[in-house]
Amino acid sequence: MSRASRSVVYWAILSPLIIVILFPFAVMISTAIRPRAEILVFPPVWIPNEIRLQNFVDMWRAVEFGQALVNTVLVSAGATALCLLIAIPAAYATSRMAFRGQRLFRQFLLVTQMLSPIVLVLGIFRLMVKMGLVDQLYALVLCYAAFNLAFAVWMLQAYFRTIPIELEEAATLDGASAFQRLWMIFLPLATPALGVTATFVFIYCWNEFVLALTLLRSNQNFTLTFQIFSLVGGRYAIEWDNVMAATLVACVPVAIVFAKLQRYLVSGLALGAVK
Amino acid sequence: MVLQGAALSSSPVGFLEKRRRAIGKAAAPYILILPSLLLSLWIIGYPIFDLTDMSLHTVTRFGQLKDFSGLANFSNLLAEPLFLECLIRTLVWTFAVVGGTALLSLPIALILSEDFVGRHIARIIIMLPWAVSLTMSGIVWRWAMNGQSGMLNATLYDLGLMKEPIAWLATAGTAFPVEIAIGIVVSIPFSVTVFLGGLSSLPTEIYEAARIDGAGGWQRWRFLTLPLIRPFINIVLVLNFIYVFNSFPLIWVMTQGDPANSTDILVTWLYKLAFRYGKLDVASALSIVMFLILLASTMVYVALAMRNERETA
Repeated sequence: MSRASRSVVYWAILSPLIIVILFPFAVMISTAIRPRAEILVFPPVWIPNEIRLQNFVDMWRAVEFGQALVNTVLVSAGATALCLLIAIPAAYATSRMAFRGQRLFRQFLLVTQMLSPIVLVLGIFRLMVKMGLVDQLYALVLCYAAFNLAFAVWMLQAYFRTIPIELEEAATLDGASAFQRLWMIFLPLATPALGVTATFVFIYCWNEFVLALTLLRSNQNFTLTFQIFSLVGGRYAIEWDNVMAATLVACVPVAIVFAKLQRYLVSGLALGAVK
Repeated sequence: MVLQGAALSSSPVGFLEKRRRAIGKAAAPYILILPSLLLSLWIIGYPIFDLTDMSLHTVTRFGQLKDFSGLANFSNLLAEPLFLECLIRTLVWTFAVVGGTALLSLPIALILSEDFVGRHIARIIIMLPWAVSLTMSGIVWRWAMNGQSGMLNATLYDLGLMKEPIAWLATAGTAFPVEIAIGIVVSIPFSVTVFLGGLSSLPTEIYEAARIDGAGGWQRWRFLTLPLIRPFINIVLVLNFIYVFNSFPLIWVMTQGDPANSTDILVTWLYKLAFRYGKLDVASALSIVMFLILLASTMVYVALAMRNERETA
């Protein structure tokens, strides 16, 4: 088969899936830009009579997008920072040092990685009630950091192993302490890995749903994902133009970053087993 | 290690100092992993302990623990008529999504690993669902499948594939299959990525050899590619099993387990038991059961992963 005919065949095979994948994006855009009078009509059409970009401005106010955005950024940044702060030393230990119980520690991490918050959500809720953290963003910061810890450690240790140990050995001979080696030699070399890991933890926090649903109570604390869900869940009249505009604005930046970085993700998710 | 040995055998003056250092060196890894252990035990370990404790006691709907009740909560859980229903639906949901994903992802990965016009764009599109959170996907699909004004009905109608509008998510017969289909679409990117990684790691020489020996395309696939990427298939199956089994947002956002509990799987039912019906003791028993199922799957995964490590090492 020539390259040209092969291309036609392959695209033809992939096209049903591609249509299904692009369909919701088309729906999102098409709904986000139409005037409200053209939302609940039958039969609906793809291209509205009037393209109304003002929708995005209206949505911003109606949805209280700004407040939710600030909450989400604070929670995600806080959780990412906490998670990395704790994961870096652990990953350094597992990738650079041999110690008793290392295997056990790795398996412990694996189990926590496999646990989804939903299975423990009742226990987590009770814990947060005891600590008086319900309806506080700190509760989410703690949970997100804890549930991403295993992923971050696995991801980092996989990268750490690729950094040559000779530099640190040289620094040891020069009398550097373990902390100095980590801080001044090792971490600067590991910056790209830290960046990638941080991005994925951040995106997880940005998208998280179950814990936000369970632990947040008052509107001014809602994260973006939960805020947009609350426009849909349990409402009698849903303003779909606002919802789709908000979804679009919340998704696109993350989608772009994610698309650029997703190839790094597998090494973390497959936990070093797939080489 | 060599340095440490040399240090111990040197002059007695620095002995204590060196000994202190050696102890410090031995303790260092434990100090480094300590914060991660503490955070995990606090946020993940304590809830597991608390749930176990609850599952063995009578619990009021306000969360007070009363008498020790042995395994009564577990037998109450089994006696709940919805338990078996949700369990079966969870199995259907999990196996349909995991199986469907694997069956579709393999050929897609094979296509994407070959050279053709626009391959780069095709890859980006196929990966797109991964980049959007499940909650957002659920919300958009819920609107797209709206009975009156949804674009899915409109499109099918325009194409002449449909005569009457269908309220996809409000009908018991269609809601669950539709959710399974969407579950598959959003699970494809991860699986394809792992398969692509697997395919790119295959040695090209043996394919040359097979070609020279006259092996056809099907034979090369059946006797070379498939056995070689078997470990990757195993990994995808187990990891997807765990993810899909735990998957909450998609179903919760689209139908909340309704109409009439017909799309409830264990996780959505668990959420309702705990936060709507106030049956905290049964909910904790269910949490423990699910925890044990996940633990068992994780062990399968560890066994597979270790075998891979040995084989590739």
